[in-house]
Amino acid sequence: MKRWWIRPLVRVVAACLLPVAVPAVITAFIWALPGDPASIICPPELCGGTAELAEAWNLDQGATHFYTTWMGAAMTGDFGNSWRLQPGVPVGELLASSIPWTAALVVLAFVPLLVGAAGAAARIIPRQVDAILQAVGLTPSVVLALCAAAVVTITYGAFAFDDEAMRVKLLLGALCLGLADQALSGAVTGVRGLMEEERKQRYVQIAILRGESVLSNTLPNTLGALAGQMRARLLHLLSGAVIVEVVIRIDGLGDLLWQGTLSQDFGVVLAAAFGFALLSALLLLLQALVEVATALHVRRSPAGVVS
Amino acid sequence: MNRKLAWALATLCFAVLFVPGLFAPEHLSPPDMANAYLGFSSAPPFGADASGRPLSEYAMQGARVVALPALLAGLLVVFLGTLGGLLACTGSQRAEAAAQGFGEVVGALPRMVVVLVVALLVPKDARSLLPIALTWAVLAAPGAMDEAAAVASRLGGARFVEALRAHGFSRARIYLIHIVGMNLRPVLMRQGVETMMQVVFLEIGLSYLAVQDSQPSFTHGDSEKSWADLLYFGYQAFLDIPSSHGLFLGLALVGVVALMSVFVTQAVRAR
Amino acid sequence: MKPTTRTLLTALGLAATATFATGASLTFYEESLPSSMNPLFASSMVDNRVHELVLDRIYHHDPITNELVSDVVERWELADGGKGVRLYLKKGIKWHDGQSMTAEDVCFTIDSMLDEGTPSPIAEKKRAVFAGCDAEKNDVALVKFVKIFHNPLNRLGIHILPKHVFGETAIRPDHQFSNRPVGTGPMKGSMGRRGVVFEKYKNVHHDPQIDQMTLQEGGDPLVQVRTLLNNGVQGIIAVPPPYRADVSASDELTLKSYDLRSWWFVAVNQEKAYLADKRVRQALNLIVDRTDLRQLSIGVKPGEQNSPCEFISGPFVQTSPYYNRSVPTQPRSDKEKAFLLLKEAGLKQVGGRWHYNGQPITMRIGMKAPLNNEAPDLLSQVGNQLGAAGFDRQEFRITVDDWNRKVLTGQATDYDLVVGKWSFGLVEDVNPLFHTRKDNRGALNIFNYANPQVDALLAQFDAARTDTEAKDAYHKLHEKLAEELPYLFLWKLDTKSAWRTEVRGNTISPYFYWTAFDSWKYGS
Repeated sequence: MKRWWIRPLVRVVAACLLPVAVPAVITAFIWALPGDPASIICPPELCGGTAELAEAWNLDQGATHFYTTWMGAAMTGDFGNSWRLQPGVPVGELLASSIPWTAALVVLAFVPLLVGAAGAAARIIPRQVDAILQAVGLTPSVVLALCAAAVVTITYGAFAFDDEAMRVKLLLGALCLGLADQALSGAVTGVRGLMEEERKQRYVQIAILRGESVLSNTLPNTLGALAGQMRARLLHLLSGAVIVEVVIRIDGLGDLLWQGTLSQDFGVVLAAAFGFALLSALLLLLQALVEVATALHVRRSPAGVVS
Repeated sequence: MNRKLAWALATLCFAVLFVPGLFAPEHLSPPDMANAYLGFSSAPPFGADASGRPLSEYAMQGARVVALPALLAGLLVVFLGTLGGLLACTGSQRAEAAAQGFGEVVGALPRMVVVLVVALLVPKDARSLLPIALTWAVLAAPGAMDEAAAVASRLGGARFVEALRAHGFSRARIYLIHIVGMNLRPVLMRQGVETMMQVVFLEIGLSYLAVQDSQPSFTHGDSEKSWADLLYFGYQAFLDIPSSHGLFLGLALVGVVALMSVFVTQAVRAR
Repeated sequence: MKPTTRTLLTALGLAATATFATGASLTFYEESLPSSMNPLFASSMVDNRVHELVLDRIYHHDPITNELVSDVVERWELADGGKGVRLYLKKGIKWHDGQSMTAEDVCFTIDSMLDEGTPSPIAEKKRAVFAGCDAEKNDVALVKFVKIFHNPLNRLGIHILPKHVFGETAIRPDHQFSNRPVGTGPMKGSMGRRGVVFEKYKNVHHDPQIDQMTLQEGGDPLVQVRTLLNNGVQGIIAVPPPYRADVSASDELTLKSYDLRSWWFVAVNQEKAYLADKRVRQALNLIVDRTDLRQLSIGVKPGEQNSPCEFISGPFVQTSPYYNRSVPTQPRSDKEKAFLLLKEAGLKQVGGRWHYNGQPITMRIGMKAPLNNEAPDLLSQVGNQLGAAGFDRQEFRITVDDWNRKVLTGQATDYDLVVGKWSFGLVEDVNPLFHTRKDNRGALNIFNYANPQVDALLAQFDAARTDTEAKDAYHKLHEKLAEELPYLFLWKLDTKSAWRTEVRGNTISPYFYWTAFDSWKYGS
């Protein structure tokens, strides 16, 4: 009872660590890649200046130096310029143009999940629908994304990057994300399972006898777990967004991350990973906040009752 | 669904998917333009590609690419999930906090990027789905560990262990049989088979992206074909190329993988 | 195609045509996006083509007369005892940001190439040509060479960079110029994530007729051709051979030749013991059936008239003056002769597989990955033929980065064979491909081939003062290389562009493509 704050505390600590740890892990991984961007642009065998370029890009003094220099600059909002993906363009500019697309994609994909979860909690969605949702959810996102890409290509051809086509891509991408890989079915069945388990608790039966609403009694107790489930769904959507964005060609963070990794544009990869880490951290903090608020609310005793 | 039926169907799906991989040819057959684009009936069992090579070879090579890595990834998740569940039964706040911290950080890593970087790290001679599959399993483990820990907590955690100890059971028996065998099994098996399914879909996704971007494959040697090549070939049916049989075959393989996951879940559900 | 889809696409096409009836904007597919808009960091033909639209070269070859001409130089004279050239620039030329182009810009360009802090392989090559530059007046630049060249203007095919945009002569690849260049060319360009947008810029020396162009990355060739047919785009720079029949069959499209002087090859790694023997290389040359390869990967049937794909026997295209016609090609395989050669070289066939020194031979064959778009499945077809001849093999696609970083620098020695393609402009200088790699020579020698006789022939070409001398040297080189076979020479593959008939006056310049862009028109 007294240790209820441990889980939220761990989440807060993790949230603080994430924006620092994730770029560190990514740096360690990409440092191990064969070659480096400087020697790709200017192979030492073919041209001089590689060493100066590596120095200018902080590639000459090991992964730790690179990471600390990058992190220090990132804290002030300076992510440098792209080296290879869009040479000369500030990475911050690339991020700023990508984040809205990914945010829109994920939010649009999340809306049906939220509605489905609410419907399952309130017992509006019948169990019989679960089988259909699960069957659809078994489709991998790449297959749905392929179909969406085919529709866009046939309909728009070379205009596939005009405003109207991008809106259509966004909607189709959100549909793919939301339905595939058991996103929607998982949200519905997960929330339903959680609420059904909670409904079996004795206090709920007593509340029913007292004529109180089930939801008003179960919701405070399950809010923490629900927040956790929804956070996991959002992370799942963020992860799936990479494939959907690349296949359907949406200019989001996932596509930026993918292209940056293929071209070993370390600045872009780290900045995009940093962006993902910040989003994750935010979600973690939100979940911790919900857990703390719920715990305080649930533990608040009426006057005169000994806890 | 009856458990025995579910197991039988799951085993059938597994056999259909992965056993042919054992007999996959090392290289595709030489081309035969007379058979180009022939369908199921003209070039049984699955038709032929643009060069007249049988699509059955694509299916078999694809099976070889995914079979072992997917299985090992599933087993790794089962192992880590078991660990998560058992840690929840130790009653140690420190262990729980550590497991949770690990889960939060690992769970927040952008999976596709970590997977792609691992794929790029593998030397071309050793290119295989296995390191990618194991990486995916590690990244997916926090979810399995959380779920197993939740089940263990519902049992009562450390108090459950103490209660059974009071009945005279040894710790080993309590952990292995009562906790893992009787209670965590449905969760772990489901997580394991879902991870297998995700690894297969991941391979298809990565291979498709590589083909689309004119990159060497991330998951197998360039002499081999994967199920993504079937989908890439079949995709052209939208552009009036007579390759719909490739699309059907690719989607059917995906469907059988998904069904295998469903049947295993049905077979291991809690009594 | 289903009627509803066809109707929809036709409607879209008509709508698109109506929109473009004013001739203002044109979209075309390129092989890929450019890696950089800065010519110092060009690493592909896409880059070279894009730079031609945005920047001016000091001198270039007229696409029709082949004369060396300039859009920016009014007149020139030899200086410094022949080791320099004094250029008198045309007046009134503006950069895309409105600043005037001066002699300082010409000198800045050369100084930036000479600056060791510019990490550019292209600049590195120019350091063996230029000694410096003086801006004698606002419109007079004295370009100094390291030695006397008999054709100095030929060395001035470099794009002029704006001094006022760069702070210093050490130019980095991540300067914003690489994305938003400032040039004096007919179009002002700006690169995005999915394409490059060009806008017309009228100048004293350029008067483009097309207001706007968009370059998009092509992707799947089939989708490209379908989109072109439906007027979703107006052109494709390079149409892969299997799809040219579709383009030819349409009345609304034209296939135009793009002279790229590119030829395909299989480089052989002589550092592998069994391949060091010339007889083995000759045997491989006899095993490869070029006719079958051509049919299966490019789609050219045997005996087809006007084939876009001509076999070659040496490192030049057949239309080149350097091609030695007395050296025959090998269109068909001759396995009997090949096996005899292999046995003579000491290889033994055990269980149908060739062995060398008691060890089975497994050939590692690589191919530059993007070439698969032009010649689908070529890698596996080569592998099939070698496999059928008794060699086990592993096939690898090589990324562009690895190609530039490892293959071109002679470090890909774990491969036995590498399939690739070279493209040349009007100056077919194959010295870097075959000279022994030392002292900045042989910079593109894939497997570090070293042959003193070949080096001597290449030196003879370098020292040539007349075209006849140069031809003579290269004819002998051709003969020598056809015998030594550091490469198995495959074919020259014509590059064809496809444009809608509404695009008129579209003269395509050899290699650089857009040199005559001022004459291009689109629409009514």
